[in-house]
Amino acid sequence: MSWESILPNVFAGDAPRVAERPMDSDAFAGFYERSARPLWAYLARVSGDQALADDLMQESYVRYLSAAGPTPALDGGEVAARRYLFRIATNLLRDHWRRPKQASIEEIPEEFFAAASNSAQSDSRAILGPALAQLRPRDRQILWLAHAEGYSHREIAEITGLASPSIRLLLFRARRKIARLLKLKQITQRSDA
Amino acid sequence: MTLSGCPREREVLDLLARGHWPQACSTDLRAHVDDCRSCAEQILLTEAFQHARAEASSAANLTSPAVLWWRAQLRRRNEAVERVGRPILGAQIFALFVMLAMAIVCVASQARHGQRWMAWFAAMQPSEPLHIQALWPSGLLSSGWNLMILIPVLATVVLLGGALVYLASEKQ
Repeated sequence: MSWESILPNVFAGDAPRVAERPMDSDAFAGFYERSARPLWAYLARVSGDQALADDLMQESYVRYLSAAGPTPALDGGEVAARRYLFRIATNLLRDHWRRPKQASIEEIPEEFFAAASNSAQSDSRAILGPALAQLRPRDRQILWLAHAEGYSHREIAEITGLASPSIRLLLFRARRKIARLLKLKQITQRSDA
Repeated sequence: MTLSGCPREREVLDLLARGHWPQACSTDLRAHVDDCRSCAEQILLTEAFQHARAEASSAANLTSPAVLWWRAQLRRRNEAVERVGRPILGAQIFALFVMLAMAIVCVASQARHGQRWMAWFAAMQPSEPLHIQALWPSGLLSSGWNLMILIPVLATVVLLGGALVYLASEKQ
C-alpha cells in the first residue's frame, strides 16, 4: 500500500500533474548517470570544496525530484532537465555563500588538505584552480557554464537568473581576467622549468 | 577586442567542441587565431575548462540514484502530510478558542451566583449545628439547575482542553 493511496486527496489540486510525470526510478537512474558527473564537476570546481559539492549535488537531485511544479523533463527533454538541475545547483551555491561561515577546523574534511597539498599533481588544477580562486563566485559560475558546459548566454541567464545582456558583459570581463591570470601562470611555470 | 567578440569565434568554438582543433582546421583559421586575441583566449579558456571538467568528472564519487529517489519520495510524502495536517492544526486552534470563549461566558454567567454563595457563607452562624441541609445554599434551592450545568460544563472544558494539549504535543 503506497502513501498516496492512504492520503488520496493530498494531490487533489495537482493530480493531473502527478499523473503526467513520466520520470520513474529507472528513467531517473539513467538521467542521473548522464548528468551527475558534470554537475558534480561544476559544483566542485566553482565552490572549491569536494565535500560541499557532494552535499549540494544530492540536494539538487532531491529538490529536482520533489519539485512541486512540473519539471522541465516533462516538456523540454533532457537538455531542459539538465539546465533546470544546474539552476537548482546554482541557487544552492548562492544560498551557501550567503550563509554566515561557522565552520571550525575540525569540520573541514581531511581531503581538503590533501587536495591542497597535492595540487601540483594535476596541470589543470594547478593552473586553473588558483586562477578561479581569484575570481568572484558569480564569475566562476558564468565561466564554467560557458566554457566547460558550453551553454549560450541565454541559457546561462536562465540558470543564474541574471539578464542575458548582463551575462555578455560579465562573461567578457571574467574571460579577460582569467585569461590574463592563466597566461601569467603559464609564464611563471615556464620560467620555473 | 570588442564586447561582441570576433566574427570567427563561433567557428573556433565549434571546432573545439568537436575536438577538431588544431589538427583538423584550416591553416587560414590557425593563422587567424595567432593574430586574434579574442579567439586565442577562447581556445585557452575552453581547453583549460574542458580539461578541468573531464578531470573533475572522473573524480566524482556518486551516490546511488536509488537513495536519492527514496529521499525525494520521503520528502514529498512529508510535505504532503504537512499539507494535510495544516487545516487540522487550524481546526484545533479554532476549537480551543471556542472552548475558551464558552468557558469565559460560563464563568461570567455564574459569577452572580457566586455572590449568593458569599452571602450564604456570611450568614452562616458558627454556633449552629452543622446539618447537611445547612450546607445546601438557599439560593441554590431556588435555582438548583445552575450548579448542575456549571460542573459538567467545566469538566468538559477541562477534559477537552487536556485532550487538545495532548494532541498538539503529540504532533510536535
